[in-house]
Amino acid sequence: MTRTTTIRRVLAVLALVALGAGATACATVQPWQRGRLSKTCMQFSPDPALTAFAGHWQESREGAAGGLGLQGGGCGCK
Amino acid sequence: MTRFTIPATAKAIALQLLVVALATIVLSASGNARMAPAITLPDRDGAKITLESLRGRVVLVDIWASWCPPCKAAFPAYDKLYRSYRERGFEVLAINVDEKRGAADAFLNSQEFQLRVLFDPKGTAPMGFELRAMPTSYLVDKRGAIRFSHEGFTEKVLPQYRSEIEELMAEKP
Repeated sequence: MTRTTTIRRVLAVLALVALGAGATACATVQPWQRGRLSKTCMQFSPDPALTAFAGHWQESREGAAGGLGLQGGGCGCK
Repeated sequence: MTRFTIPATAKAIALQLLVVALATIVLSASGNARMAPAITLPDRDGAKITLESLRGRVVLVDIWASWCPPCKAAFPAYDKLYRSYRERGFEVLAINVDEKRGAADAFLNSQEFQLRVLFDPKGTAPMGFELRAMPTSYLVDKRGAIRFSHEGFTEKVLPQYRSEIEELMAEKP
């Protein structure tokens, strides 16, 4: 085994370890911790009425629903 | 005529599935309700309240937050339930999970209520109850077992609450 191959393998292992360590940093925000997420400033759209209207016509005309970035606190809390 | 034989492995798997299914039926039929977690939380005056101290009473545990509109809609409805049944041994613990007390107090100051409010900014109660959505309420029987739970809130479910409370209050401790 050449020295270059060994270095590549070590780097690959280190990259995998770093990836694994990064993945453990992900955490689920629990329903009772969504106070900040429910704030108006966390919305993608600044106008909830307009977002609701867009959702309504998209649902009726295109059969598509959701994905409009409504903020929420769990079971439809807005 | 060809004779089909069932392999021994398939028979073993089928037998195991049958045993698991029977066990599930037996457990669900025996009313194996989960016990409510141990909770010790302060009320508005700072006095520590435990769920265990309410054994012998039917308790509605409501987990709510001021940033959750359905929770705020449910609050006066639960207070009304409390006023209706408290003479008969019914208690409501409205556990607030706001991180900042001021937000909860702002809402509470706008309400007239008699039910007991507890404060849980660290979320120990929802963790103990394994809450999945806000708001969720739990009806705990006189022995301390969680018998009914409701995720979300609408006025339409109030008759169901009443019938469940009546059922639990009719039971012996």
